Amino acid sequence: MFLLPKGNPIFESLAVSKLKLPDVLSKLSNGSLTGYASFIFSSHTAILVFESGNLISAIVEGKNGEKESGFSALSTLSELMVSTGSGALNVYKLSTDLAMCIHALVEGEMLYKAQELKLLNIKALLEKVKDDQMNGCLRVYTDDHSALIFYKNGNPLGFFHDGSSDIEISSTESQKIAGLPGAKMDLYATQSADELRKTNLLEVTNVQNLWEVCVVRHKAETDRLNLERQERDRKVVVQKCDELGEQVKALVEEYVGRVGRGIVEKVIADNGGNTCLLETERVDSVVRNIERSAKLLISGIKIRAMMEALTSLLSTARSEL
Amino acid sequence: MEKFIELLTQMNPFDLVQVVFWGLAGAISFYFSIGNARVWTSISSGFFLIFLSQAYGINPWSHYQKLTAFHYIIGTIAIMTITHGFLEYYIFCRTFEISGDKLIVYLSTLFVLVAAGAFLVINPTPSPNTIRNFKIVENAVWVFLCAINLEIIRKIYAAIKDSDIAKGFIAFGIVFVCILVWRGADLYLQIYQWDRDWQDIITLMTEESTDIADYMVRVQFAQEVNRYAGLLSGISVGGTFIYLYNLLK
Repeated sequence: MFLLPKGNPIFESLAVSKLKLPDVLSKLSNGSLTGYASFIFSSHTAILVFESGNLISAIVEGKNGEKESGFSALSTLSELMVSTGSGALNVYKLSTDLAMCIHALVEGEMLYKAQELKLLNIKALLEKVKDDQMNGCLRVYTDDHSALIFYKNGNPLGFFHDGSSDIEISSTESQKIAGLPGAKMDLYATQSADELRKTNLLEVTNVQNLWEVCVVRHKAETDRLNLERQERDRKVVVQKCDELGEQVKALVEEYVGRVGRGIVEKVIADNGGNTCLLETERVDSVVRNIERSAKLLISGIKIRAMMEALTSLLSTARSEL
Repeated sequence: MEKFIELLTQMNPFDLVQVVFWGLAGAISFYFSIGNARVWTSISSGFFLIFLSQAYGINPWSHYQKLTAFHYIIGTIAIMTITHGFLEYYIFCRTFEISGDKLIVYLSTLFVLVAAGAFLVINPTPSPNTIRNFKIVENAVWVFLCAINLEIIRKIYAAIKDSDIAKGFIAFGIVFVCILVWRGADLYLQIYQWDRDWQDIITLMTEESTDIADYMVRVQFAQEVNRYAGLLSGISVGGTFIYLYNLLK
């Protein structure tokens, strides 16, 4: 995503997780914002450009370069806000002309793309911009640097380059980048500010509905994932309990004999299955009943040794889980 | 007390030794029932009751016929209680279910004894012939239930043969073989009317004749078997409970 001039900051670094998109848009629209709002997520960046409270552009760009705009961008932004639980919102106020240029940059018509400057008659191109009284943005860049030159009615409004926070009057940095080997340029054009004022995405999009659908979908997805996780956890616990049950049977069999396995199976079944081995109250009953039955079959010395081994096995297993 | 000492001096020394051994076996088994699990209560209480049933020889009031009959009824109740205990142990081996309460077992046994006493109190004084009938019933029940107990013990042993106590059930098997022979020999004599009681009855009260003289060898053999098997039964019961006590210590 391009670096954009910050203009006059209204909000910076607001936590997106606490915000609702309809409320944000309503507030910015009612405040007749001219400027842009940027939503910075770890995987995506969204830019919403406003002109006098009208939402004239919405664009979402992913880290891997995929772009969405308009309704699709608002939908994706809603999903990102609902699902990521992180991200920051910045809102900057700009002049109408600059807002228009930002619009051109993010969503305008691309007249030239990746043209190498050394192969281009830049002087003729700039004369054409002036002659055609174009509104738009000229982007000059290399792999490491970029600079933006904003035009209104063919006249430059100002310069913006990486590392600066606002529009500059000086063209020095832009000229420096243009002089670098391998420098390229893109030219974006947009409609005039008057025409842009007629566009308002908020009038054609039911943002509230979009948001609610995302919230419901996200909740359903979260619930599904929680259920899956719980089921997975339950299966893990059941498997561990089954293994523990087998260990208890083997241990009691070792002291009591073959009949010991049956005693453990009966006691565990009476206490609701192998999961009782991890429940403090029920495991006491299990141990007590195993001891009670074993008293009919083995000596007191063996019972004491078996109980020590059994208690140790169960407490180790419970601490591990 | 004097009468008791007089009774002891009049007793056949062999019978006296047998009663003493049953006394020891009864004391050991009763002690065992107190300190051990509920399932043992019926078995050990039953063996204790055998001593009571055998103690008529040293009972100073045994000339009361109802009391003599009561001794035989106690003997019958003893083997029924023992069998109930072994049946419970077998059920435990198959289902691993332990239920009930020691006190209930003691009280139930006491209730049955009281009921048997009441039965004798409300009925006419038993004649020597009736007392002999009680004795025949006692021996018949003993023989039948000893055979049943041997089978139950075999099944218990098969279920727990790799446990510490398994050898204790082999000892019980020996006990029941001794008792089966002891009671079987007595029942044999009774069924063919070669027993001493019948001989006394026909001498004093009837004019019936007896063929005992024709079968004296087998009668004497059965009498000897009865005496020695009875003695061995008492010794084996005491020994078995001491052995069990050591196994479960």
